Amino acid sequence: MDCKTAQDTLALYFDGELDRAASREFETHLDACADCRAALIELDALRAALRHNAPRHAAPELLRKRIEKLATTQTDAPAPVSAGRTAMRAPRWLAYAASTVLAFAAGGMTVSLWDSSGRNAEPAQASANAQLARDLFASHWRALAAASPVDVVSTDRHTVKPWFEGKIGIAPTVHDFAEQGFALVGGRIDYAGDLRVPVLVYRHGQHLIDVFVLPYSATLPGDNAKLQSGYRLDAVKLGGQSAAIVSDLDQVELTRFAQLLDGIK
Amino acid sequence: MTTVAAPGWIGDLALHNLDAAYNLGRWLLGNEHDAADAVHDAFLRAARAADTYAGGSARAWWLAIVRNCCLARLETRNKDRRNVSIDSAANDDGPARSIIEQLLPRSEANEVEERLDQAQRRTLIARALRELPAEFRETLILREIEELSYREIADVLQTPIGTVMSRLARGRALLQKTLAGTAAASEVTHGL
Repeated sequence: MDCKTAQDTLALYFDGELDRAASREFETHLDACADCRAALIELDALRAALRHNAPRHAAPELLRKRIEKLATTQTDAPAPVSAGRTAMRAPRWLAYAASTVLAFAAGGMTVSLWDSSGRNAEPAQASANAQLARDLFASHWRALAAASPVDVVSTDRHTVKPWFEGKIGIAPTVHDFAEQGFALVGGRIDYAGDLRVPVLVYRHGQHLIDVFVLPYSATLPGDNAKLQSGYRLDAVKLGGQSAAIVSDLDQVELTRFAQLLDGIK
Repeated sequence: MTTVAAPGWIGDLALHNLDAAYNLGRWLLGNEHDAADAVHDAFLRAARAADTYAGGSARAWWLAIVRNCCLARLETRNKDRRNVSIDSAANDDGPARSIIEQLLPRSEANEVEERLDQAQRRTLIARALRELPAEFRETLILREIEELSYREIADVLQTPIGTVMSRLARGRALLQKTLAGTAAASEVTHGL
């Protein structure tokens, strides 16, 4: 994507009007373009200024009473099918940018993404690792924003495993930990970089947990738990395979879950 | 006098989106009374026109009616050339600040000063918004405050989505420019 096209896309991305594929393409451009990043941050600053300083005028109580009175005198009829409002969410990149410092301080990584001063000097491997971490967070958030975080709904590992095998030829190790409080919800296929990878989805209370099964090893930096906007990423081994957990679990629960996964033979 | 028999869903829709309607009215008409009256008109009109709702975002359908009522009110207002109270611009806080500084211990004065700064920012932003041409102002309010999608905004404004996009872009650029200008100006005065 050249910068001219990106500039036209910028507002669409910022306003959440791009589909997944287009968002990804735009984010790739963002990685390389300081001007577009700056423009995006300016848009965000303007929005924040408006929301803080031009707060919504709430309807006066008197008006509400007037309308309520009018409305209750009306007869009831079935409501039309309400057109679901599309969930508005902040562009992931901004959420990411806001938490970059925190994330990498917590993760003990020396990489600081998009820090233009030192970016080119970073080892390519560290940069790739950071990119992968970013992809995994983004996938998790997209899944949370989607209508359903799973493509196959099942609490039965004998359903989930063959489903993956049929779709992408990978049969990850699948276990249900419902008894330990981590119930298997299902699975989906998502992207890590340009690779399609299996994602096992678990639920713990209100928390949704993604386990990305990575087809290659040692691409996630060590045992570093990474933190981003309240979400954590932790590298684990899943039946000898490299995997990454992403969720908003607290560190204690995350570690407990990681130990469960590590325990699979 | 005719009684309006509206289906119940109109009441739910209007009450559920009453703040959105009133807020839009406030930014289009500039004062409480006109905004409240416009929303009231809009409810009656929506009740009569319930059968014109043809799917899509019900919220956008309702806000479109609210907007039309606001525009109608604006037109009569302009025709009548009546005096209308526009939301008063905030007062100059200069004297207030110096009195506070005389009366309060330093730390408390600082706190009050911060609050004044906040009030000042609000005033600046509100003024910048009010000074925007109405078509940019309403588009920005619907997007940034009410968080409507482009499709919904297009439905409210009854314009193509392309127009929504260009108004958003232009409105944002204008507002950024105004705010950058006032920020620079206030920095100069602080520096003196």
